[in-house]
Amino acid sequence: MMDKLYLVARIADTRVALRSRAINSVVAVGTPVEVPGAPPHVAGLFALRSRVFTLIDPHVVIGLPPVPIAEGQRVIVVDVAGHGYALLADAIEDVCFIEAPETRVSGKLLPGWARVAEAMIEHQSASLLVVDPSHFITLPVLNAA
Amino acid sequence: MDDLLNDFLAETAEILAEAGGALVAWEADPADRAQLDAIFRLVHTIKGSSGFLALPRVTALAHAAEDALDQVRRGQRTADAALVTGVLAIVDRLNLLCAALGQDGTEPPGDDRAVIAALAEGPVARETEEPPEVAGIQLRREDDIQADLKNWRSIRVPLPLLDSVMTGVTDIVLVRNEFARMLRESGASPAVIASFDRLSDSIAGMRQSVSQMRMQRIDKLFAPLPRIVRDLAQDMGKKIAFHTSGGEVELDREMMENIRDPLIHIVRNAIDHGIETLEDRVAAGKDITATISVAARQSGNQIEIEVRDDGRGLSPEAITAKAIASRAITAAEARAMSPKEKLELIFRPGFSTAAKITAVSGRGVGMDIVKANIEKIGGIVELRNDEGRGLSILLRVPMTLTIISGLMVRAAGQYFAIPRGAVREILLENGDTVRIDRVGGGELATVRGEQFPLLRLEDVIGRTRDAADDADDRALVIVRPGQGQSYALSVAAIHDHEELVIKPAAPMIMATGLYAGTTLPDNGRPVLLLDVQGLLSAADVDAAEAGRRRGDAAEAEAQASAARGAAQLLLFREAGGRMRGIRLSVIERVEEVPVAALFESAGRIQARIGDDIFAVHAAKLPAAQDGQATQKLMRLHDGQTMLCYPIADVVDIVRLPDAVRPATAPGLVAGVVLVGDEPVELIDPFWLMEQYARPDAAPTAGHAPLCRLVADQDGWGENFLAPLLRSAGYRVAVATAEDDEIPDVLLCLAEDSAETAAVGDAVPVIRLRTAVAATGPDDDTVYRYDRQALLAALAQRVGGSRA
Repeated sequence: MMDKLYLVARIADTRVALRSRAINSVVAVGTPVEVPGAPPHVAGLFALRSRVFTLIDPHVVIGLPPVPIAEGQRVIVVDVAGHGYALLADAIEDVCFIEAPETRVSGKLLPGWARVAEAMIEHQSASLLVVDPSHFITLPVLNAA
Repeated sequence: MDDLLNDFLAETAEILAEAGGALVAWEADPADRAQLDAIFRLVHTIKGSSGFLALPRVTALAHAAEDALDQVRRGQRTADAALVTGVLAIVDRLNLLCAALGQDGTEPPGDDRAVIAALAEGPVARETEEPPEVAGIQLRREDDIQADLKNWRSIRVPLPLLDSVMTGVTDIVLVRNEFARMLRESGASPAVIASFDRLSDSIAGMRQSVSQMRMQRIDKLFAPLPRIVRDLAQDMGKKIAFHTSGGEVELDREMMENIRDPLIHIVRNAIDHGIETLEDRVAAGKDITATISVAARQSGNQIEIEVRDDGRGLSPEAITAKAIASRAITAAEARAMSPKEKLELIFRPGFSTAAKITAVSGRGVGMDIVKANIEKIGGIVELRNDEGRGLSILLRVPMTLTIISGLMVRAAGQYFAIPRGAVREILLENGDTVRIDRVGGGELATVRGEQFPLLRLEDVIGRTRDAADDADDRALVIVRPGQGQSYALSVAAIHDHEELVIKPAAPMIMATGLYAGTTLPDNGRPVLLLDVQGLLSAADVDAAEAGRRRGDAAEAEAQASAARGAAQLLLFREAGGRMRGIRLSVIERVEEVPVAALFESAGRIQARIGDDIFAVHAAKLPAAQDGQATQKLMRLHDGQTMLCYPIADVVDIVRLPDAVRPATAPGLVAGVVLVGDEPVELIDPFWLMEQYARPDAAPTAGHAPLCRLVADQDGWGENFLAPLLRSAGYRVAVATAEDDEIPDVLLCLAEDSAETAAVGDAVPVIRLRTAVAATGPDDDTVYRYDRQALLAALAQRVGGSRA
């Protein structure tokens, strides 16, 4: 049943569905601490319950200009390879069960999205991209290598 | 499960791991009596402890192994592969039994006769004698007492207990930090603060001890490797010599756990994929015995573990082809990749380089897991590939994940932490003991006569200074990142000292090379821990340059530059006492001239040496010092022009250091180098000679162009013009001279002379006129006192005739 649970959110100006098992939590972020010299998609560091998380701006990963971070903005906390990351979300819409099956991505996506999208899913008569949050973290690293 | 059994299991697991490695080493060198004795003692210990616990199977197995080894010790049996395999089989069986014991608490029923019999199948000679066992035990009584004594000096502590102590200390440190801040803010009485300081000191001491408790020799990590290599090599029919080094390096226990699997995986990979088959090795002209070495070394706060093999290395092309075939990347992506990126494809999930999946390493656990595990603990994995000749994989991990004492500094309006251990001294930037020199575009800080390259933290991290910073707060942190290097780091302000719990930062942040981790002080705002070594490379300050301060480093450097055939540098001191250097090859000689030989003329200082007059690089006549009648001059020669450079003294001739910090703008000083401990400004001979080169001088000294003067009726040409021409590098002949040489140019001093016709059109002619104004637009004559126009015309004609 958990497999069908999705977080519907607006990331980098696009509505997407994230599989709930990939997500640790959704929290509000304070003012992050900058990381000079880090890749552009690293928006900073912030602490949550004595852990330090790396804040990722999905806009940059997708190829859009970075957005300023507002105090209290919501972030999606994920764990990738033992490190904690937080994806900046434009808005968190809902956590819900989606019964419809995941389908192959059809149609042409922007290159930025093509890299992160895994599938599509039908929800409330709209097609959402199913994205794996870890792609937002690992891909730019491989590209930069 | 009772404690006794638990202790036995922990001890036995350790012994078995050690015995496996020792057996393989002994097999390689059966004459090594010490090794044999060590194995014997290990097996004997197992037998002894299992006897207490009533574990008949374990006792029987240990006894059989002990028996066989004892025969070898007494020379009744030779050590051969069969014996070693037999003992290893027993070790394996013991491992199995211990695993079962750990689960159920009782020894499982089973039959070990086959294993024991395999070991007994020794040479037939064995049958003839029957060693009296009692005597055997008596023989080794002495060794055993020694071994037992060693065990009494230490106790076994369960790891979870150790970890909980560690966590406890971590919490204490965090609370202490918070408490310290509160005390400061509340303005507590000195008595309270003094007593709190004592508490702090005890906590610091305890933290130190706990960290040490968690440190283990990396030997432990290496112990199972020889066995793995031996077994795998036998399975695959390869011959491999395996070496380890640096086993004495110590590493945090938790780090060790995290490295164990990646290390084993890398070694397996090396045997399976890296080392070629015997035939391939022969075909490649290599020794059929391959070499795999695992070396550990400590470098500052980091541990490097290098696994090197002399196999086939990685082939970027094969890797790319495979990645394309498995649809990990597209062909177009592959084309855009650098060789390094191609190699790093092996870190992609699901990638395996073997042509076919083998039982050994192609099991889906790939290099991606290795990389992820290492990065999880804040380490990095580096590939050093030498295709066809081998691969070495470097794991670099922090020595400990624990607490360090950190110095909090501010720069660009943000806080950073510097490991206190790397800080040698802290000074205010505008204090009396600090002198900052801008030399050749770089900055040097001189602290009590010692020079340090100066890095400004804002510049290194690519930020601008915060306007709110008070210039008086700026401080220099003298940092010694280890290995005999040191530099001065300039920061906006020093905040305070704090005990910091360091956690590795995300891989992409570690990849900047600027940071060693993150930490969370009690104000809840994360702080980045600076990588003091990384800053040095990011600032592009040559680490070797600073390393020259140390004697041994200087020697190594001298050898290295000798190998590169480095140029030699003449060090000299100027009249002002400033030390400068110049390439020896541009110096023709250094000589002493009487002070009277220097004179000022035509706005320039000149020197008369013998019959020649040379330009001197000096703004004014060197002040005649008391009792000094001579002046030392270096003579620089660029093939054409000679220039004298006044100096106070020659200091030394040294090899030109490789690392030059270049000046930002061209000028007399090309850059700064460190020679010994002294910064030396390097003279730019090109710039220098350019200032004195006669721009109008003829290009070749050997064959100066010949000017012939014609129609020089009143001797103006001979007396006025010829010296100018000569000084400009031309030879001058008058028309009346009887010579056959065809001049390069004719200068006609009369406006309407027919003499030029004698030479014909082959030689360009410049006509001079006495009137200032030209007669018309197509008048190509030159006014005879227009020096610039005349020289330009000459250069043009002469150049033209050559072209």
